[in-house]
Amino acid sequence: MSTVEPVYQQPKPGLGPARLSGAALLVALAAFAIVGPAVISADPAAQDFGATLAPIGGDYLLGADHYGRSLLARLAHGARLSFGLAFLTMLAAAMPGVFLGLVAGWKGGWTERGLEFLATIVLALPGLMLVLLLLAFSPGNYGPLFLGLALTLWVEFYRVTKAATKGVLAQPHIEAARMLGFGSRYILLHYVLPVIAPMISTLSAFAMATAIIAVSTLSAISVGLQPPTPELGSMIVELLPYFAEAPLHVLLPATLIFLLVLGLQLLAQGERA
Amino acid sequence: MNIQLKQDLVVRNLSVHSREGTIVSGVSLALGQNQPLTLLGESGSGKSLVAQAIMGNLPQELKASGQISFRDADLLAETAIERRRRWGRSIGLLPQEPWLALDPTMPVGPQVAEVHRYVRGKPVGESAAAARENLAEVGLAAAGALYPFQISGGMGQRVAIAMAHAAGAELLIADEPTKGLDATLRDSVTARLRQEVDAGRLLLTITHDVAVARALGGMIGVMLDGRLIEYGPAEVLLAAAQHDYTKALLAAEPSQWQRQAQTLPGKCVVSARGLEKRYGDKTLFSGFDIDIAAGEVVSIVGPSGCGKTTIGNILLGLVKPDAGAVTRDASLSPLRFQKLYQDPPAAFAPHQTLRKGLADVARLHARDWEEIRALCARLKLQEALLDRLPGQVSGGELQRFALLRALLLEPAFLFADEATSRLDPVSQQEVVRFLLEIVAETGLAVLMVTHDRDLAEKISTRLIPVAGSGTLAEAGMAG
Amino acid sequence: MTGRGMKNFLVLRLLQAGIVAVVVGALCFVLMRVLPGDAAMRIAAGRYGPDARITDAAAKIRIELGLDRPLAVQFFEWLGSLARFDLGHSLVTGSPVAHELQVQLGASVWLAAAALLLSLLIGPIVGLLGGLKPGGTADRMGLFGAVTFRAVPPFVLGLVLMLVFSRQLGWLPPAGFGSPREILLPALTLALGLAAISSRVTRNAVAAVARAPYFAFARYKGLPEAVVVRRHGLRNAAIPVVSYLGLQAIYLIEGVVVVESLFAYPGIGHALVHAIIERDVPMVQGTALTMGLMFVAIAAAVDLLTYWLDPRMGKNA
Repeated sequence: MSTVEPVYQQPKPGLGPARLSGAALLVALAAFAIVGPAVISADPAAQDFGATLAPIGGDYLLGADHYGRSLLARLAHGARLSFGLAFLTMLAAAMPGVFLGLVAGWKGGWTERGLEFLATIVLALPGLMLVLLLLAFSPGNYGPLFLGLALTLWVEFYRVTKAATKGVLAQPHIEAARMLGFGSRYILLHYVLPVIAPMISTLSAFAMATAIIAVSTLSAISVGLQPPTPELGSMIVELLPYFAEAPLHVLLPATLIFLLVLGLQLLAQGERA
Repeated sequence: MNIQLKQDLVVRNLSVHSREGTIVSGVSLALGQNQPLTLLGESGSGKSLVAQAIMGNLPQELKASGQISFRDADLLAETAIERRRRWGRSIGLLPQEPWLALDPTMPVGPQVAEVHRYVRGKPVGESAAAARENLAEVGLAAAGALYPFQISGGMGQRVAIAMAHAAGAELLIADEPTKGLDATLRDSVTARLRQEVDAGRLLLTITHDVAVARALGGMIGVMLDGRLIEYGPAEVLLAAAQHDYTKALLAAEPSQWQRQAQTLPGKCVVSARGLEKRYGDKTLFSGFDIDIAAGEVVSIVGPSGCGKTTIGNILLGLVKPDAGAVTRDASLSPLRFQKLYQDPPAAFAPHQTLRKGLADVARLHARDWEEIRALCARLKLQEALLDRLPGQVSGGELQRFALLRALLLEPAFLFADEATSRLDPVSQQEVVRFLLEIVAETGLAVLMVTHDRDLAEKISTRLIPVAGSGTLAEAGMAG
Repeated sequence: MTGRGMKNFLVLRLLQAGIVAVVVGALCFVLMRVLPGDAAMRIAAGRYGPDARITDAAAKIRIELGLDRPLAVQFFEWLGSLARFDLGHSLVTGSPVAHELQVQLGASVWLAAAALLLSLLIGPIVGLLGGLKPGGTADRMGLFGAVTFRAVPPFVLGLVLMLVFSRQLGWLPPAGFGSPREILLPALTLALGLAAISSRVTRNAVAAVARAPYFAFARYKGLPEAVVVRRHGLRNAAIPVVSYLGLQAIYLIEGVVVVESLFAYPGIGHALVHAIIERDVPMVQGTALTMGLMFVAIAAAVDLLTYWLDPRMGKNA
């Protein structure tokens, strides 16, 4: 008749089918993005007007675009660009976000209030609007794109870390640990980090998915990266006028974006809601 | 049974089966007017399944067999639709944790009124008036406009009774009606149920609390592992239990314990003068003095929300008082002041095995693992439990691990904050026994904070009652 | 039950609107100063067109606008004119920004409203079907659809819809503005993305209510099933769905920018992107400010709706 019921439920151990397929998809895409540009000899910028809109499976394995550029090479470079930029953005957002979240959760008081105010300012506008405003300084460049995305994405890392840290620190077992003589370092390493680590890895995958969508979207509406950079979003828009002749060519980069984002979302367990 | 009363509900040879096998077998019992029935047992004993079989809300994967006759109707022979038609009308349920069973987005008045409106088909205005009357019957005339989150647990249970009145159910099934309530609120809910019996309603109560069964009287059935192991009139069963389990259950009640022999107090370990604590503009206590000496067990007794836990936390230096001062024996390291928590799982990191947690404490303070093994044996904790997570052992075991952990630091003072209030009586008795043994051996000073006066009276050298400050006590569901 | 909690929400939203104005204003002020070339010259060109007397005009403007004074003074003046809703003139067309915004705002509001409405027709219904029988066929199909649509960026989704409905099937016009037929494709693009999320939120909310003790207890009270669902199911399930609409406002506003650009739909998002490409700072400021305030307005509306639905919000026990 113990009225004490287990309060804490272990997160499902292991990967599960959804996460496993997400991980497999990402490994395959990462291999294409990392190994592809090194192995594929074709230059993604080399034009061959004799091969304009060459079909898939001919001289060019995945065909060629309207300038006769190898689509395989452009897709591999595009995947590397998307992956790389998303990964760097995620790091640039996660590191300050997690650090500041820990600081705010740990210190509370004015430190927390100051950081909250900062977060409120960033969240006052939808993220893409802030990125757009920064892009206005120099459209078509990596700098403002990277900065704008990191600036909007750190807030979520900060908020989740702070809330989780505060939640853990408020629990009796932290008070008990302090009375047993454990210091802040032990509490951080053994009690706080194990709780926030899975949340941060989930958030990281979502942040990368968000960055990939944002970069391709902004490029597609001509304010992100500009042609001839082999960016997946701008490739789609470039090829769109030739849809009637080569519909599959348009769908290739779109499919690649879809698979990248899908892989990340499945890995992050698919369900944010 | 001296007079043969008319039996309105008769259960014969009731069994409940799942796909894996039989969970409840061969239960036979009966109840009638002025003869309420209370089923006692721990969770998992099958007592709730018996109630669900009578109500007709067993989970789909479970099947009941046997016979349940209610006023000449065989309930188990009825279809699901026929059984549902009885809900509210002839069989009413008083839910456990009523604050969860009331719709959080609707004031309680309309929640009572809708029973008149939709179950009995009265017009809107008449329903509202009748609901006000039902609420007045249970002493909640002014509560109609309150939302469930604005009322206490005890009030919630009375709202549920008002609903049963509204529907006019003849048989009330009360499923753990006092779960999560402190002793004062528990007694008022039990008294209310007794009034229902006196008013001629049929009552079946499911509880793990012997005090509830005693207060209700009538018939008592004791369940263990899906069987009814003992069944008889309350006055007989409580006075002379036959089954070992029942005996242990009754003996574990603090009111049945032996009074502990007094020990001579040693030197003073911690004392405080003129403590005061306010929350907002509310003063919890002021001018509070306390001295606790080695070998003493001092209990602070009072209802939930009176600030008794805060006093202990002030003595430990975890909370700063608004006025007054605490003096500790300066020769003692702060590490020798320790605490036992009300909710044992909360006092352990949920993802750390007990072995790792204890090993880290041992390493930090250069203790030998052998000491932990010896203490495990002493506190009757199997070493296999060490490799489990805190959520995977029982509350009683976990509280003993908490005691073990504190003992590694050779405490001079231990603050036990409602440390046994969430344990079943048998586990509670065990934890308290170990604690008292240690007090006798080591001269540990203990401050107990509890709402259980019986418990405090049996084990303490001194008892300090703290009065509740009215509204706060009313708002408190224990914890 | 005072309106204190509600007042707090509104004060917070007003504060947010103020922050939006300051952030947008400050960024645009800096933008105006760092762009290559002379600011007065650009304003003159915007007002009078690039003709021979532009240098004189620029000199006049420099004195008129006080561009020779300290930056801090200019900045507060800039914010001051923002506060008076004086948004200046477009550097490209020369017409007052406020004027252009009026027309565009109408178009964007229609698009956002149509998208929201369509998404509310799709998401909650799909979610309800899934939530009533978690793990069932409808639930699994809903999950598959939600995962798929969430992995597709809005511009790709828009392109696919455009290719299917206007190119292949020829049912709907690919671009333009004016008739409901033209609003349908961009609105559907946004609605599918929104519904991908709201369907799962609804599904979880419905499943949670169906499991809730108060839902079971309403049955035990003897209420008929229809009454149980109507009085104790709908409102409780709606609370998380509605409060999630606040977060969806982000997707909506971002989506409006993207989808308008894609479908050449003459709204504020389209104008913002164009202004950025053309570096028309007053237009950037005006459009960004309007979209930001639209976002705040949606969030405030969601607050009010949640407050009305959920008595626990902002009221003291």
